[in-house]
Amino acid sequence: MNFGKQFKEGLITNNPVLVQVLGMCSTMAITTSFMNGLGMGISVLIILTASNVVISAIRKIVPDKIRIAMFIVVIAGFVTCVDLALQAFVPAVAESLGVFIPLIVVNCIILGRAESFSYKNGVLASAVDGVCQGIGYTAVLMVMSIVREFLGAGTFGAGLLGAEAKGIRILPSQFPVGMLTLPVGGFLVLGVLIAAMQWALNRPKKKKEESK
Amino acid sequence: MSSKEKEAIHMDPQYIIRLTVTLFVTCVVVAACLGGVNAVTAEKIAAINWEKTVTAMKKVSPDATDFSDKLDITDAMAEAAKAAGGTLDSIYEAQSGGAKIGYAIKVVASGSQGNIEMMVGVDEENAVTGVSVVKASETSGIGTRVIENENGVLDQFQGKSAADGTLVVGTNVDAITGATVSTKGITAGVNAALAAANAIG
Repeated sequence: MNFGKQFKEGLITNNPVLVQVLGMCSTMAITTSFMNGLGMGISVLIILTASNVVISAIRKIVPDKIRIAMFIVVIAGFVTCVDLALQAFVPAVAESLGVFIPLIVVNCIILGRAESFSYKNGVLASAVDGVCQGIGYTAVLMVMSIVREFLGAGTFGAGLLGAEAKGIRILPSQFPVGMLTLPVGGFLVLGVLIAAMQWALNRPKKKKEESK
Repeated sequence: MSSKEKEAIHMDPQYIIRLTVTLFVTCVVVAACLGGVNAVTAEKIAAINWEKTVTAMKKVSPDATDFSDKLDITDAMAEAAKAAGGTLDSIYEAQSGGAKIGYAIKVVASGSQGNIEMMVGVDEENAVTGVSVVKASETSGIGTRVIENENGVLDQFQGKSAADGTLVVGTNVDAITGATVSTKGITAGVNAALAAANAIG
């Protein structure tokens, strides 16, 4: 097993958001503040890893015909556990993420990895895949949250740092463009990120082709 | 594999039973796990919710030292709130030194992005002592300015009572520019709370 390769795939070459283009809804909806992005990213990472492990462990006894139904039951179980745990132990995060925690059940990244990876691979490899894909998802959410929060509200670390957890003000309050924390801003930032990723991924290939 | 063979698998009763049993067992196991997690977290969540409710009630009835448990909601109260444009969620009695000094009323009204849950405090003359939003999903940076009481938009309700007539944005309530719908939602909630308070006494 190759941990380094899987890590690189999760973070860059097969990034769940920027390359597989999965989980768009939550990516755009919740990346308005630092803590939202971090909370959502970590929740998905935990659920993804746990469901990958369980699905991989039961893959030999799951009949092919009902595998999707089984996956969803397992995933929904973990999502509900995480939802309850968030409400009990970090109520502030649970409140700001709201309905998007229960909606992780239908997040395509988790079902997608179950179907394309953990249903065909061993438990350990699936666990590593869950962690790597989760880190890739969290990384993109963090980048988007930081950019949108900085340009849209002019702060850094809202929900975690600063007075009353409102974030540390970087831009004076008359400069930020409020639009960026709206869905429009989500589309713009995500579009730019995907374009940048495609450019970065295609660059080495082109060089090789030219040198041939 | 021909289509005939596929058909045969569908019809095999043993296979169908296997599918059903597997799915059933999975659901039972998952439900058992959830029951376990719920047993651990339920008490904590209830405590956190009650603490939030008390914090919100203290904000809207600053003179109160204690609050009663939920009062029973009569049909008259619920209908009065509904007619005023909101939904009555719960009513608590605000007390100071054991004596009743008013009510804290939790109402739900619709804002621009969904429901706004708010706590409205009223004194014994049924005049508003304070308004505080408990839960909302208003647009970040626009509707949230109302929720955060910018320019005292929530404070302006203090002292209003049913004697002032129905509160309407533009006539006796000032809205935040760009967040008129959110302000209207809050106003509907206050109207509903006042109507419900009148229906009590």
